[in-house]
Amino acid sequence: MIHFRRVSYWYPDSPEPVLRDVTFDIEEGEFVLVIGPSGSGKSTLLRCINGMIPHFYGGTFAGAVRVAGLDPVELGPKGMAHLVGFVLQDPEAQFVVDTVEDELAFAMENQGLSMTLMRKRIEEVLDQLSIAHLRHRRISSLSGGEKQRVAIASVLTLQPKVLVLDEPTSQLDPQAAEEVLTVLQKLNEDLGLTILLSEHRLERVAQYADRILWVPAPGRPPALGAPAEILAQVDLTPPLITLAKAMGWRPLPLTIKQARPFARRAGLVGQPSLQDEESVIRRRPPNAAPQDSLTVDMRDVWYTYPGTDQPALRGIHLQVNRGEFLALMGRNGSGKSTLLKHIIGLLQPQRGQVLVAGHDTRRHSVEELARFVGYVPQNPGALLFQDTLQDELEFTLRNHGMPPRDYTPLLRALGLEPHLERYPRDLSVGERQRAALAAILVVEPQVILLDEPTRGLDYPQKRSLAGFLKEQKAQGRTVIMSTHDVELVAECADRVVILGEGEVIVDGPARKVMTSSMIFSSQVNKLLRDDRFLTVEDVLASIPPAEVGQ
Amino acid sequence: MRQDYHPLAWLAWATAAAVVALMTLNPLYLILLGLAVLASYRVISLRSPTARQWGAFLKAGLLIWAITIPFNAVMSHYGRYVLFRLPADWPLVGGAITLEAVAYGFARGLSLVLLLMIFATFNSAVDTARLLRRMPAFLYLAGMITSIALAFVPQMISALQEIREAQRVRGHRFRTIRDLLPLIMPLLTTGLERAMQLAESMEARGFGGSAASISRLLDYTLKGMTLAGLLAVLAGLFARSYWSRQAWIGILLTAGGLLLMAAAFWVQGRRVRRTRYRHDLWLSRDTLMVASSAAAAAGILIARALNRAALFYYPYPPYSVWPTFDWRLGLLYALFMAPAWLLPSARTAQPDQYPLPREPL
Repeated sequence: MIHFRRVSYWYPDSPEPVLRDVTFDIEEGEFVLVIGPSGSGKSTLLRCINGMIPHFYGGTFAGAVRVAGLDPVELGPKGMAHLVGFVLQDPEAQFVVDTVEDELAFAMENQGLSMTLMRKRIEEVLDQLSIAHLRHRRISSLSGGEKQRVAIASVLTLQPKVLVLDEPTSQLDPQAAEEVLTVLQKLNEDLGLTILLSEHRLERVAQYADRILWVPAPGRPPALGAPAEILAQVDLTPPLITLAKAMGWRPLPLTIKQARPFARRAGLVGQPSLQDEESVIRRRPPNAAPQDSLTVDMRDVWYTYPGTDQPALRGIHLQVNRGEFLALMGRNGSGKSTLLKHIIGLLQPQRGQVLVAGHDTRRHSVEELARFVGYVPQNPGALLFQDTLQDELEFTLRNHGMPPRDYTPLLRALGLEPHLERYPRDLSVGERQRAALAAILVVEPQVILLDEPTRGLDYPQKRSLAGFLKEQKAQGRTVIMSTHDVELVAECADRVVILGEGEVIVDGPARKVMTSSMIFSSQVNKLLRDDRFLTVEDVLASIPPAEVGQ
Repeated sequence: MRQDYHPLAWLAWATAAAVVALMTLNPLYLILLGLAVLASYRVISLRSPTARQWGAFLKAGLLIWAITIPFNAVMSHYGRYVLFRLPADWPLVGGAITLEAVAYGFARGLSLVLLLMIFATFNSAVDTARLLRRMPAFLYLAGMITSIALAFVPQMISALQEIREAQRVRGHRFRTIRDLLPLIMPLLTTGLERAMQLAESMEARGFGGSAASISRLLDYTLKGMTLAGLLAVLAGLFARSYWSRQAWIGILLTAGGLLLMAAAFWVQGRRVRRTRYRHDLWLSRDTLMVASSAAAAAGILIARALNRAALFYYPYPPYSVWPTFDWRLGLLYALFMAPAWLLPSARTAQPDQYPLPREPL
């Protein structure tokens, strides 16, 4: 179906090729997962399939690509549109018109299909992706997962043979990602569509993939093979597979179900202690800690966004002590971001009070609060605008009227030292996220707030972020982060607050909350069902080294 | 079955309503028309899944109205019916406050609110992008660009908000023009990045599709025609304001220019083979709505032509502060309630046609 023969590609003005002599074949009806660290050339490779490279990006192209016998280099993306459907990462940026039905028609209009054919195909696609209920909706009113499903539908109307998706779930929360991936699996199984998907969430898709294409680094040859075979040699793996590799389980289990017999044989599956669920979810009594050590103190905070009638926060009581690492969890729209914005003073409570290190946020401006509270927004692109990373850091210092200081330790801790002179927006997703962190943390705030810090990061990047945050906590800083990422929480948080519809539902020690929860639990804990084990390190530390790998 | 009207039917309704709203200052007719528009809005906002709120428009209108009445009352002291007096030594505002001045402010403000209401109803009932899609083929590209721009604006506004927050938490204060740089730079780059992605996504879906190749000569001819047409239109407008005596020169130039451009666009539009998806059916109630609006507007215009006094209202002496009312004209104004009447009642609607959650304004 798809054949690459010695394909090499250089971006314009780049001396080193991103792809060098890439050769592989993908059969019709295969579901191929494309993995690799960010910046390794996954996107570039995918864009060769519909001719976007070299047609849209320019550069130098060598070698041959054939998709169903056609040459994308010759035909270009327009000529390949009926054969290859292409879905991009950002659900916001790929819509042309603003209602769902019209968006679905767009590709067919470009091909000059007749009205009757368009109507038929739209009905079919709406049902295939189960989005018939959305057909009259405005695209701006859809959730992220719904948007991505509409984006997939809008390319399927041309009935392509190949569907290529470039990290379609990286900007989505787990539930929305689940919706999208389920749809893809169904399309592959029911329609026999050949699917190429680049994706970071291996734990969810590894089991559906027929094969995995591993792109290790720019200019290095990719490897194509069975999932278990590829994952055994790759180090970007979910905790379950990391554990399985450390324990030497063969064949490599891809799901929790497959791993369970191994765990049982290794004698690792514990008895879930019947701990009192009540005691876990009981919220902390207000003012439990001595007053002077409180860094953040929210008392009966209520907030309703203008123009809506549902309060986003309803009577939040929350005390966070100095040096705590708190994870805010809960579904989208449960009030996590709203809560964080209250601590930095971007939003002010309509009822109740927020005290940060004793300062009432209503009496101090954001600019004043920002000296001891660092808030890292979800989208680092909103922050970075200078020509070099160094300028970014100095801009923040200047804003606060602080003298230039030595920020090399900070940059070293974030692994950004080599990038000091680079244009921040050219950095990879993970580096950009860390650059934003550096730009905020250069004033050494006592409280660090993070909104969804791991969105779009791959496993190594997550791991390095977790390491950095733990170090910050060790230095006595308070960290409060909102996240959907259970593994990150398992690795570094010591307290978990779960919000639901603007209220604190659960507030307790991370270990207790996570081991007693069905969904807010880590993969390792789901596998072993033992309170002692949340992370791979927990498990490995509990068994004598001699037994590991046997 | 959809629960609203065809965009073109709405266009006809709004145009007719705006024309008759501008015909009179008589508060009785204006109130009647206002109620008719309100009823139409209520019905459509409850039924149509894509309807938007008109809140902001209405609030702005009412605010202007609330200012107009007292402003006119204290500035114009003319009239027979004196309500009360402000001390004469107060500059400007001192003197008699008359019923006539209040009535005039009321009527003026009302006519403005009414126009806003009509526009807001139209805006909430009709998807602008969908209306743009009805453009004739040779204007397709222009319609496309406008509809992308319309979808882009709200995205950029939310991006701006996000960027402003991000710079504030870095301790950035906005005081002078130079301080806007940290705001504008990320906005521009964000906008560019989005535009690139959009272009990519459009191209991957075959936009600009199978254009038949044309000779270079024809290509240059078409470009030349467009340019010449544009120049002729500009020259025509210029000529009209300069040589107002020979108005025909200007008109001829403008018309000729427009024709030239239309021809160029038409030839160009025929080159690209593409179709358009239209799922709006023209129903009998659309015809009824257009017919009733047109009839009402025509009736009112004829009445005005026959008797100029019929719609005339000016509260100050020598005219009467009390408006006249002719029930036949009143009936014509009330005809603008048509959109509310013609829809099947909500109870007979199928459950799955109930309004879906709407985005907040």
